[in-house]
Amino acid sequence: MKYSIQEISLGLLKTILLLLVLEIVTTAVLPMFDITSFKPNFNILIVLFLAFKLNTPLLAFIILIVQYVHSAFSIEGWAMGTFTGVFISVLVQYIKDQLNFSSAASTIIVVQIFQLIWIVIGTVMLCFKMEDFSSFLTLMWHHVPESIFLSILSPFFFRLLDGFWHVNRRSSGVAY
Amino acid sequence: MQNLNIESSRWTTFNNFIVIAVSLYGFAVQSYREEEISFFQKVIIELTAPLQSGTSSVQVSVTDAFDHYVKIVNTSRENALLKKKISSLNSTIFDLKEVQQENERLKQLLEFGEVIPKKKVLAQVISMDSANEFKVLRINKGEAHGLKLMSPVITMTGLVGYVYRLSANYSDILTILDQNNRVDAIVTRTRTHGIVEGDAKHELKFKYVARTDDVELEDIVITAGLGEIYPKGIKIGTISSIDKKNSGITQKISIEPSVDFHKLEEVLVLIEGEAGDVAKKDLPLGDGISEKSSEEEIK
Repeated sequence: MKYSIQEISLGLLKTILLLLVLEIVTTAVLPMFDITSFKPNFNILIVLFLAFKLNTPLLAFIILIVQYVHSAFSIEGWAMGTFTGVFISVLVQYIKDQLNFSSAASTIIVVQIFQLIWIVIGTVMLCFKMEDFSSFLTLMWHHVPESIFLSILSPFFFRLLDGFWHVNRRSSGVAY
Repeated sequence: MQNLNIESSRWTTFNNFIVIAVSLYGFAVQSYREEEISFFQKVIIELTAPLQSGTSSVQVSVTDAFDHYVKIVNTSRENALLKKKISSLNSTIFDLKEVQQENERLKQLLEFGEVIPKKKVLAQVISMDSANEFKVLRINKGEAHGLKLMSPVITMTGLVGYVYRLSANYSDILTILDQNNRVDAIVTRTRTHGIVEGDAKHELKFKYVARTDDVELEDIVITAGLGEIYPKGIKIGTISSIDKKNSGITQKISIEPSVDFHKLEEVLVLIEGEAGDVAKKDLPLGDGISEKSSEEEIK
């Protein structure tokens, strides 16, 4: 069952509002408590949810919009995350039947695996851009604690996004 | 039904191809030196930055409320009124101390700013970059206050970075800790020249200094003024480690930045032009700027 334009617009609006709140938490609230090195990338979690759960030809454009909003909070820009997100969504299309979200544990594992793929692609692109691969491992390592945190959070987070996109109403057998 | 699925699949492939192509192009043209932001990004920044800015005032209120709560819980019934009064007075003292500390910081900034022959705009740090790879700060001044791309940013203790991108009322500062920021620098004692760069661990490195050059621990490093961004003579930091053992022709030098980036609250943005060009409300430190030469500033 496909999404109508109206459903996509509404789901996207709610998702972007959630992203804005989370970006403000990451960029302003956490530093307030002296947490300056721990910055969870909630945009990655949102894009992974979209890639896993959304069945629409407009998915690539939705990912582009999410990353574009994210770029207002980071000089990382929209392009790198959009490329990585669409690449992962294509990958997900091929193995969708093998992905299992039936329990919290399986969701955590799947999200962690795809986050690692995201981190590798993103770091390779960044190193290409800076023409310096010497800091590849350091840059990758930066993301690992946050990725574990996001994976643990993913079952709850996905449940929230399920509500935004009415996923449970559309598909059966999805539970966390 | 099968035809519909094939049609949908073709659209998905086509859209994926378009977005991947556009994102690769966007990635290729993107610069980590400076960025002109689009209209929509400006709108997002202008709408959300006040919320980022507001979190600091919320913090003060929450801390204040928490302090009151703790004090009141421990108060016995007999002297509740008295303790409340004390609590209230303490709160006032706390607020006054905060104001006093802020005044001292601003005064020091003002005194420091007087030796830089440029117009200055005082700004508050309101948030940080949301990605871990970048060391970027957002401040509450932008194009409307006279800031331009690549305007240098300093504090009373030294160099912070430069304006990487800006909207009407907010700007993002690429700090010297970021690996995309490079600063021409010299050692004050020996005039040894090199390039200061951030690295992936957000530490400062002093690069391209020959093994034969005289550099010692605790030597002060300042901007050389050779690039187009930073004026000459702004303190960057002190040399914290030197490694001459590597087989290359240069030394491996680390710098301890003079600015404490974890406790950065206010910064000065240096902009071109005379102090009178910008409205007074935007230029709290703009008056009485001396015209000392760069050599004098270094001394």
